[in-house]
Amino acid sequence: MQTPDPSQNYFELFGLQAIFDIDSVDLQRAQQRLQSTYHPDRFAAASDQERRMSVQMASLINQAYQTLRDPVKRSRYLLEIRGVELPDDSRTTSDHAFLMEQIELREAIDSARQAEDALDRCLALEHQLEQRAAELERAFVSSLEAGDTASAVEGSRKLQFIQRIRQQLDEVLFELEDD
Amino acid sequence: MALMQISEPGQSSAPHQRRLAAGIDLGTTHSLIATVRSGEAVCLLDDDGRPLLPSVVHFAEQDVVTGYDALALQAEDPLNTLASIKRLMGRGREDVDRLGEILPYEFIGDEQGGVPRIRTRGGDVTAIEVSAQLLTALAERARSTLGDELDGVVITVPAYFDDAQRQATRDAARLAGLKLLRLLNEPTAAAVAYGLDQGNDGLIAVYDLGGGTFDISLLRLERGVFEVLATGGNSALGGDDMDHAIGEWIIGQAGLGKLDAALARRILIAARRAKENLTEQESVQIDVGGWQGVLDRATLNQLVKPLIDRTLSACRRTLRDAGVGVSEVDDVVMVGGSTRVPLVQQRVGEFFGKAPMCDLNPDEVVALGAAIQADILAGNKPDSDMLLLDVLPLSLAIETMGGLSEKIIERNTAIPVARAQEFTTFKDGQTAMAMHVVQGERELVADCRSLARFELRGIPPMTAGAARIRVTYQVDADGLLSVSAEEATSGVRSEVVVKPSYGLSDGEIESMLRASMEHAGEDMQARMLREQQVEARRVVEAIDAALAQDGERLLSDDELLAIVEPRDRLEQGIDTSSTDELKRLIEALEQASEFYVARRMDDSVRRALKGKQIDEVEVQ
Repeated sequence: MQTPDPSQNYFELFGLQAIFDIDSVDLQRAQQRLQSTYHPDRFAAASDQERRMSVQMASLINQAYQTLRDPVKRSRYLLEIRGVELPDDSRTTSDHAFLMEQIELREAIDSARQAEDALDRCLALEHQLEQRAAELERAFVSSLEAGDTASAVEGSRKLQFIQRIRQQLDEVLFELEDD
Repeated sequence: MALMQISEPGQSSAPHQRRLAAGIDLGTTHSLIATVRSGEAVCLLDDDGRPLLPSVVHFAEQDVVTGYDALALQAEDPLNTLASIKRLMGRGREDVDRLGEILPYEFIGDEQGGVPRIRTRGGDVTAIEVSAQLLTALAERARSTLGDELDGVVITVPAYFDDAQRQATRDAARLAGLKLLRLLNEPTAAAVAYGLDQGNDGLIAVYDLGGGTFDISLLRLERGVFEVLATGGNSALGGDDMDHAIGEWIIGQAGLGKLDAALARRILIAARRAKENLTEQESVQIDVGGWQGVLDRATLNQLVKPLIDRTLSACRRTLRDAGVGVSEVDDVVMVGGSTRVPLVQQRVGEFFGKAPMCDLNPDEVVALGAAIQADILAGNKPDSDMLLLDVLPLSLAIETMGGLSEKIIERNTAIPVARAQEFTTFKDGQTAMAMHVVQGERELVADCRSLARFELRGIPPMTAGAARIRVTYQVDADGLLSVSAEEATSGVRSEVVVKPSYGLSDGEIESMLRASMEHAGEDMQARMLREQQVEARRVVEAIDAALAQDGERLLSDDELLAIVEPRDRLEQGIDTSSTDELKRLIEALEQASEFYVARRMDDSVRRALKGKQIDEVEVQ
């Protein structure tokens, strides 16, 4: 069983409206409700055939949940269900100002990690990046609502860039906290 | 039963008798078995009233001895008395060589690959067989206490156990003739033991400091659903390290130079005893190797503080992994004998800003939780909403060009999960492609654990890069992996249930099973038939429950007939057919009802989507 119904997307699976600003609590509840029904533990004593199907079903629910929970994946998925082809793992953007910003942010992380007060400066950067991500999310939503596919694709890429930088900062924070 | 019961999880149409289920903590130093009696989880005791079974197996020429009796033989016959065998589960020769200092056994077999075997007077054995002996001893204890065979068990494993180690544990259960309902992560079991599923929703941290390992897990509980958010820890950090730190202090104080093995052992024993006594006393007298001295708690605290700090670093990292702040943690559960050390409780309390829970015996808590889960999975508590959702402990990857590891499923992904990735050929006319499945976080394959190798053959010759080879990883609820590969343009397929590089083949297990039964004087044929009859009854019961519920609504008369015919044939055959005949009858019914199972699933998804609560769905 690939999907319960081919026309059904992940939003529909969870009974949610197909928009970017979903309520994370609603999503989590819907996921738990479905898992409560289909998880293989509900079929611990069942026949092999039924156990196989429940594994597939639970996997689908997890896949859908992981996709919608993550803002970048969610933005890509919203474009996908609108029939927009997204190149895999695109690493380019034509927005030069944004590109410069990325380089500056990377440098800021580098100098923060070497500073005396590394932890504080990194935490400040973390806060700054969080706000920047929120801005980019709002921009993505407006592009999507306006039906401006090209800038929505661009917006989704920018979200991905920011997410990568946040992950790098996370790594630095890991190291700092370990010391 | 089954998808057949889709609208009412856990409910069974026919009132069935209570199934005997147990939880087993298969530990490095000791193992326990627990069950739920009169609504309460209790550890089962041996004939002498002890809950622990030392995880030690002694192999004599004819006999196998386990537990305390084996422990007593360890000093006089160390080579034939196997302890700490959990460290070898799912491990290959290279790992074993690394552990050589700790485990003084005589290993045999090829240098490369294969399951390491240990030579004993009773024959060559694998870690899987040794673990099966422990499971058999515990199952026997359950049988004599409860008066009947167990219908199913839940066995706990450390949260960081990789696929090979989980497979090995599952194989041990199979070898012991136990029906494994679930492999459960030890920290999750601990949270269940504290009944946290009965309490308020919130975040739970499980701090598990055992003899040789440290584990930290973050669970989220919401309306009876436990979700593992992240796990972390250190597989080489535990109470033994505290003993070593104290031991070194003794050596320093006593001014001892080079030690022989016997003295080193005595010092370690003295160190452990001092540590244990210091949980109650402020200072203790130590008398070892001709040296006498006093160790007070302040000094002990100084010695163990660096170790505890390392556990707290791992806690911080795991919190970050889960994306939660330390103040968001509502409950902290303590597991493992080493959490009895007062400084551990104090520092953990300070770190999380709340007193940790340590009312239950930290040695028993995992087995108790496993028993509660086993009771639910066996269907004895139809009203229970408890559901344990787990994550993958280590990333699953595939080897790509240049010995690099490409992750297919990231660690901490919720399971079960299926992920696919496309690869292509890199030579013109290439007709085969080798796949190497690995697990771990490192970028080089050489630094990850090799799980399996297989080959997709029969790819039609094409130009380089034209083939589209789709590799799918499927992980089940126990964290066990199966892999399939398919060339998309031609449909050529290859599939492996990952038998880890260090695992046993089905054939090997079969023959071990046969040998162990011959040894036990049991009739293999009779046992297989009995198992098949149980399965047949289960299948009939499931289909009846489903048909009663929605057969009329979902099936036409012809469709109903197509299912009922093979169902009746199976039911009539249960007591009269051979094992093989029964197997065929079951398969026939499963095939005939496949469309119905799928239709029920679709139907219930549609209902779920209509926003109906599950409990509102009508059940007849």
